[in-house]
Amino acid sequence: MLRELDPLLHSQLRLGIMSLLMNAESAEFTYLKEKTNATAGNVSVQLDKLSEAGYIIVEKSFNGKKPLTTCRITKKGIKAFEEYVNSLKDYIKK
Amino acid sequence: METKNDNLSPQQSLDLIASMINQAKGNVGRSSFYFLLWGWLIAFCNFGMYIVLTFTDYGEYAPSVWLLCIPAWAISAMYGRRESKTKMVQTHLDRISMWVWICMAIVITPAWVFGGKINWMMNAIILMPVGAATFLSGIIVRFNPLLAGGVVFWISGIACYFVNSTDQYLIGGIAMIFGYLVPGYMLRNQKENHA
Repeated sequence: MLRELDPLLHSQLRLGIMSLLMNAESAEFTYLKEKTNATAGNVSVQLDKLSEAGYIIVEKSFNGKKPLTTCRITKKGIKAFEEYVNSLKDYIKK
Repeated sequence: METKNDNLSPQQSLDLIASMINQAKGNVGRSSFYFLLWGWLIAFCNFGMYIVLTFTDYGEYAPSVWLLCIPAWAISAMYGRRESKTKMVQTHLDRISMWVWICMAIVITPAWVFGGKINWMMNAIILMPVGAATFLSGIIVRFNPLLAGGVVFWISGIACYFVNSTDQYLIGGIAMIFGYLVPGYMLRNQKENHA
């Protein structure tokens, strides 16, 4: 029986963000916005959802006077992403 | 990029993941600064040692040329700090690369400090880990000239076992040209072409 795809990851923007974070130790908000080609508001909302689920950690700091938002994936997020990819493979094999 | 998930097929999801991973590839040209700084410095020190020991009577003062490494460490640290502030993403490979070079520095430092105990035959020992770090950097950034540079260091390191303590500086200087400087300039050109 096919596993249900994680609804939190099965969204274009959230999946894009998670894919970028899987490949990075940490990434700035601006980087995620630039690479996903999404609006700041949209990225911000999706980061909140991923953060609330415990998939990512969002850290806010300052670089000089400039506010800096840095994101990193958690172990829970890595596990969820791997399970999601395995489920995708099952769907494609079907 | 939208947030809707209604029409995202499994194949589209996999394609999206692949495209994002592709986007996150590092910039290979970033490390050229370090190869050029250290390449010029160590080549200068090696050739300086060779010239002073071979053609002058001031051999006992020659090792002081290595003190130039102290400001070079400071410059490298400041550059690295500035880079990390401006870099929007830190990849796993960036971290691995950084630790490869830190490990290399730890391995070669005793040879510099206690070189006298091995009759200053430092290059025979130093060039091997330098070659390993250069070769691994080539693997990490997928840049063949660095692989070749690593091999040059290994061959040079072995050659140093067969010459006297003065000639090993000549070999060390030549190794720096082909191991650091040539790949360093090629990296920099690649960076400029991609800018």
